[in-house]
Amino acid sequence: MDEKFEHGSLDLAHFIMNDIKFAQGENLLKCVQCGMCTSACPGAQHSDYNPRDMIEYILEGDNSIIESEDIWNCFYCYTCHSICPVGNSPCQANQVLKQIAIDEGIADEHLRPFLGFGDSFLNHGMGGIPQNFFKEMREDIGEDWWEFKNHLDDVRTQLGLGPVYPDDDSIEEISTILVKCGFKDRVEKIREIKDYEK
Amino acid sequence: MKQIPDKNILLFKSCLVSIEYPGVESSTTFVFDKIGVDYFVSREQTCCTGLGHYSDVFDQFTTTVNGARHFALSHKLNRPNFAMMCATCYAINKRVANLLNENDELRDSVNDVFDDCGFEWMKYEKDDITSRENIFHVIDIFYSKRKEIAENIKYDFSDFKIATHHGCHYCKAHYHDTIEGVRNPHIIDDVVNACGVETVGWYDFKRATCGNGFSQRFVHKDLSMDATNDKFKSLKDKNTEILIHLCPNCHIQFDRYQPYMEKHYGEKLDIINLNIAQFLAIAMGADPYNVVGIQTHTVPVEPLFDRLKLLSDEDKKMIIENVSRKVDLDNSADFNMEADTIKVDFKKGAK
Repeated sequence: MDEKFEHGSLDLAHFIMNDIKFAQGENLLKCVQCGMCTSACPGAQHSDYNPRDMIEYILEGDNSIIESEDIWNCFYCYTCHSICPVGNSPCQANQVLKQIAIDEGIADEHLRPFLGFGDSFLNHGMGGIPQNFFKEMREDIGEDWWEFKNHLDDVRTQLGLGPVYPDDDSIEEISTILVKCGFKDRVEKIREIKDYEK
Repeated sequence: MKQIPDKNILLFKSCLVSIEYPGVESSTTFVFDKIGVDYFVSREQTCCTGLGHYSDVFDQFTTTVNGARHFALSHKLNRPNFAMMCATCYAINKRVANLLNENDELRDSVNDVFDDCGFEWMKYEKDDITSRENIFHVIDIFYSKRKEIAENIKYDFSDFKIATHHGCHYCKAHYHDTIEGVRNPHIIDDVVNACGVETVGWYDFKRATCGNGFSQRFVHKDLSMDATNDKFKSLKDKNTEILIHLCPNCHIQFDRYQPYMEKHYGEKLDIINLNIAQFLAIAMGADPYNVVGIQTHTVPVEPLFDRLKLLSDEDKKMIIENVSRKVDLDNSADFNMEADTIKVDFKKGAK
């Protein structure tokens, strides 16, 4: 369903406007570079990410923004989106830029830590924090949390709640659907070690 | 005020509620039972994809197909009204509904997937579900039932300094749909106020993110925690003792990471975290361990109970009267919903 971005074939702004991740349509073109987005952005306050600059790159058709490391500092908090005076959404534009980078195979290292979300969905029918983060979380949060994680089912029973995961038929259903959508291939492609990485 | 349903509700399970703070779900059903909300929880439901979606692992098409399956499920169960316990479930499902209704080509592609899989019953027709009429957060339902909430409270929280945090994906992602303020979100404050409690109201970083930032907490931890520190500093300026929110991801950031924040930024915080459903359940007399699930929290909730007092009959009567008057005013035609919240201070009586 998603179109692939081809450098030179369609300018970046129009590609973003037509992407299903972007809901604000032509408002992207109405940006007056006022900087409200950057002034309220937590990423801009604490890193070099600058949503106003990012939109300027897009409107000028400067595709180098796709390769920027700074765009990976967006919090997806939609603060910029909610205050933009022309109804643009730097937050959504950012998400489309990242999808282009993913399609071009230059964002694998950013996504690999999170592939557990996809695996969990394919195997158990729901998300959840990937296990590769557990060690650091255990150090940061403490042993009480780890103890709770290991007794989750008991706590849920105490609270009168059913099993965590969907029933088996539903897991099989969603897994079939996700494979048909190409999602499983997408995950495997990101996971695959590329020649240039060897 | 727009119509908020209290029947035929599918209470939508959240992955982070299920695995991190399950007491949010049991508190929600406890409160729904008290205030007369008809709901159902289905094991056929998966989850919204949100954590994976906002880590860029899920593409919008896959998320949309997954969402369309839930919309079909809601019709199969005759429960077309969604109530979300998580801000991201709310934002994701609203977006999916808008896309399916507005983009014919996309809708056809989604239905092709269902055809190819042999899942005819999942096929989506335009306007099967609409974002504004069918998709709500649990907070919206609480807000519409403030009179019933007032009638069911047993405990007095008015001696605590309580602040609220509204969750970005609830109040900013679909800002045209948000009830009770976008620039100064105060729907949680209003629901807390229905228990006769005045919150601290506005604080400097009230509408700022909790700081989790999805991938940020995991791969740019310093960046994430710096944003959370902005929030905590602002909350400490107001001497906040209890922080109330509506999203499990914010809950993790403020509760699980609070000891980490104290260690790294050198300030004792001691801020108890409660989801709004947990707060209401406690105020209504729910068991802290068998319903509210406080044993799953990192910052101990127990100290709160030492200071909690039973409401006197006289105070409760006054709260019910004042909340009733406020709700009627909010529902009146000339009420300005963007104006500051009107608070009910039962100690001073009706004004």
